Amino acid sequence: MRGIALLAVAVPGLLSCSGPGAAKVARTPVTHTVTIEAVAFTPASITVKAGDSIVWVNKDPFPHSVAARTGGFDSQPIQPDRSWTLTPSAPGELTYICTLHPNMKGTIRVE
Amino acid sequence: MKMSVAVVAGLLLVLVPAAGAYAQGVDDAQIASIVVTANQVDIDAGKLASAMGSNAEVKKFGEQMATDHAGVNKQAVELVTKLKVTPKDNPTSTSLKDGGAANVASLKKLSGAAFDKAYIDHEVAYHQQVLDAIDKTLIPSASNQELKALLVKVRPAFVAHLEHAKMVQSSLK
Repeated sequence: MRGIALLAVAVPGLLSCSGPGAAKVARTPVTHTVTIEAVAFTPASITVKAGDSIVWVNKDPFPHSVAARTGGFDSQPIQPDRSWTLTPSAPGELTYICTLHPNMKGTIRVE
Repeated sequence: MKMSVAVVAGLLLVLVPAAGAYAQGVDDAQIASIVVTANQVDIDAGKLASAMGSNAEVKKFGEQMATDHAGVNKQAVELVTKLKVTPKDNPTSTSLKDGGAANVASLKKLSGAAFDKAYIDHEVAYHQQVLDAIDKTLIPSASNQELKALLVKVRPAFVAHLEHAKMVQSSLK
């Protein structure tokens, strides 16, 4: 067990000059936060890596939702002070709205 | 500089209420009453639409208005309670209350598509009217900074509702 752990640490070290492939293996997914407040997504546009998580936190005193324009995900109503998490796995650009307040728009770029 | 003007204005309101100091606008207690009444009027209409509407979008919109404005009111009441401001009736809040009651009374006489259209048309006009009041009277007149901040923060909800109401309105045509 200890041998495997050492190997896992040692390999990226040995291959440190081998380019983005090695960096990708070592990368830990990141959690990004989008605040929903005053009937807006902040930031409205966010860039993440595939496998990262995005947490929407509703700070308004009424429900909001996070739904892909072209389908694919829909949080359903997120109540005040509650949150909802999405973990996109494939690269691409996703645009979303709040179905309750359709003028609220956001974009996620997944790299 | 701004601070001292606000302090002087506040003193004038306290010391010489009969001298026409109110003519420029409304005080925080009156604003509190206008905010709570404006929300309550839309909650009442929304509940009626969610029960009496025939179009699914209209029913859903009515239900959402009841939910959203109840949320805003909860926040508003919490703030004015914290600030120890007692909402005070005034011509604007009375007119909103009377207008809301008249709207509900006339909607109750309608049904089906006529109800849906009358409700949504009124929602569009109402949200526009409240937005005008927020911009022209409430935000400029609010003296307490937290009350002003609350008005600024809830303003986008009225904009979103207006846009949403217009969308539902055009879908009915």
